[in-house]
Amino acid sequence: MSIGARNLINLDLFTDAYRVTGRALVGTGGIHAELGNPNSKFLELQDAYISRIHEPGIIIANYKLASFRKDNINFIVLNDRRDGIPVGTQHGRSVFTRGRHIPAFLTVPSFEIQGEVIHEGKPSAREILVQSMGRFQLIFDAKASASSAPEISYSGDLILVQKERIGIFCLDLSQTP
Amino acid sequence: MARIYVIDDDEQLLRMVGLMLERGGHTVTLISNPVDGLEQVRTDKPDLLVLDVMMPNLSGHDISREIRGNKHLEDLPILVLTARSQEIDRTTALKSGADDYLSKPVTSQELIERVDGLLAKKGGQKKQEEGVVVTLFGFRGGTGRTTLAVNLAAALRRVSQQEVCLVDLSPTGSQTVMHMRLQARSSWTELPDNLDWTALKERLVIHPSGLRVLAAPAKPVSPMLPSEENTRTILDILRHQMAFTVIDAPNVFSPAFVTAVSAADMTLHVVTPEVVSVQTAVQLNRLITKAGITVKRKSHILNQPTPESQLPQAAVERGLNTKVSFLIGYDTNQSRAMSQGVPLTLTSAKSPLPTVIKRMAEAIWQRVATQG
Repeated sequence: MSIGARNLINLDLFTDAYRVTGRALVGTGGIHAELGNPNSKFLELQDAYISRIHEPGIIIANYKLASFRKDNINFIVLNDRRDGIPVGTQHGRSVFTRGRHIPAFLTVPSFEIQGEVIHEGKPSAREILVQSMGRFQLIFDAKASASSAPEISYSGDLILVQKERIGIFCLDLSQTP
Repeated sequence: MARIYVIDDDEQLLRMVGLMLERGGHTVTLISNPVDGLEQVRTDKPDLLVLDVMMPNLSGHDISREIRGNKHLEDLPILVLTARSQEIDRTTALKSGADDYLSKPVTSQELIERVDGLLAKKGGQKKQEEGVVVTLFGFRGGTGRTTLAVNLAAALRRVSQQEVCLVDLSPTGSQTVMHMRLQARSSWTELPDNLDWTALKERLVIHPSGLRVLAAPAKPVSPMLPSEENTRTILDILRHQMAFTVIDAPNVFSPAFVTAVSAADMTLHVVTPEVVSVQTAVQLNRLITKAGITVKRKSHILNQPTPESQLPQAAVERGLNTKVSFLIGYDTNQSRAMSQGVPLTLTSAKSPLPTVIKRMAEAIWQRVATQG
């Protein structure tokens, strides 16, 4: 991707009651940068297909363009982490993927999410939430399962979780060196 | 060749999927409006439907349900192709009546494999219990034997829509993959001792047309390779898995050559209209007879790979002491086809080579289909 280039990425976005599949226009910083953009409280999606959270396979409405209040987004599922975070690197590795891989479990309203956080520094939940950039926490190789129906789950190479919506945040430090 | 309808509101993706399916040998109708698409499917009843899910006004799930509710269309195979890639989306697609599911982005190989799998499953085409092995051979270099083997295999694949594998047994480097601009990750030199279909399948390269290729090693190896045992095992496995196996035999009298010729249900001896080629062919025929090799259904192909011809057909037939079954004139398109990596039989060219080879493939397929 050249500097300044923007491209459309596919994503699944979850609010308290809805699942929305659509495409977002992002720059080199990926969707993480769009979500962190202080100049806009909204995220725009093109070709948005909306399902209710308890019937996630059934499309109830679709629109060419839809806007979402960033505050109301619980999490976003991406198939490819390169759509989520900057593709540029520092000293050979992206600043977002440098550090220890720590298995994590966290909850947001109606969902529990399992995956890995990548963190450089003291491995504590507080440190990670405070020190990681932006308002969304990055969970890699992640799976979000509906709390009331765990058989309904969404897997992604990267899930971006709204930090303010996190209820429980646990780290498994036994598996890290 | 199947008639496939593709419904997707994303016109760019629609064109791409159409191209992939066309290269797989199918006739494709592209429809970007789902409402019109459903109507056309009801009217025309294609052989298979590829369907997007997320479309305005009418989703792919709605179309699947409509089709399954229609008595005349209930057996129509439906392949759902969508950007919604979660397990729940697969379950929903199958519940709505789709037969298979693929998430975007999709590769040409994945798409063709699924489409062919569905067509075969629905009984659209008959699969033989045991496939047919066709061996092309000839010791004289420069006869265009590999070109003919590649084109025949591609034509058989297109005509029959069955599984076809091209086996390159040349110990002097892999020519077939170069003809098709394929990247071979493996060759018959890397096969395990206890070879079975699973292990062999992993080592076959798949051309966008769906044709499978067992490549020869990239660099020359001993002319005695592959061994008789290995060649026999490969051919036994392919005979049970493929409708057609086309062998480009080595141009040395090796164990692999003997096995490839004796195991074939049909052999094609390639000669060119020049004295040395005819003399070599005569010597080879004598050698085969002397070695006691039984050759089934042998035909001679007279191929002219250069603009000039030294000998007329009658002289070649006198030299061989037999009739030539197929005559292929010089084809000016062949050098371009080679540089583009597309066998001429997969193009719409009406020049000598694809015309004769397609006719040959149709005759072979018709004979097999009638017997089946």
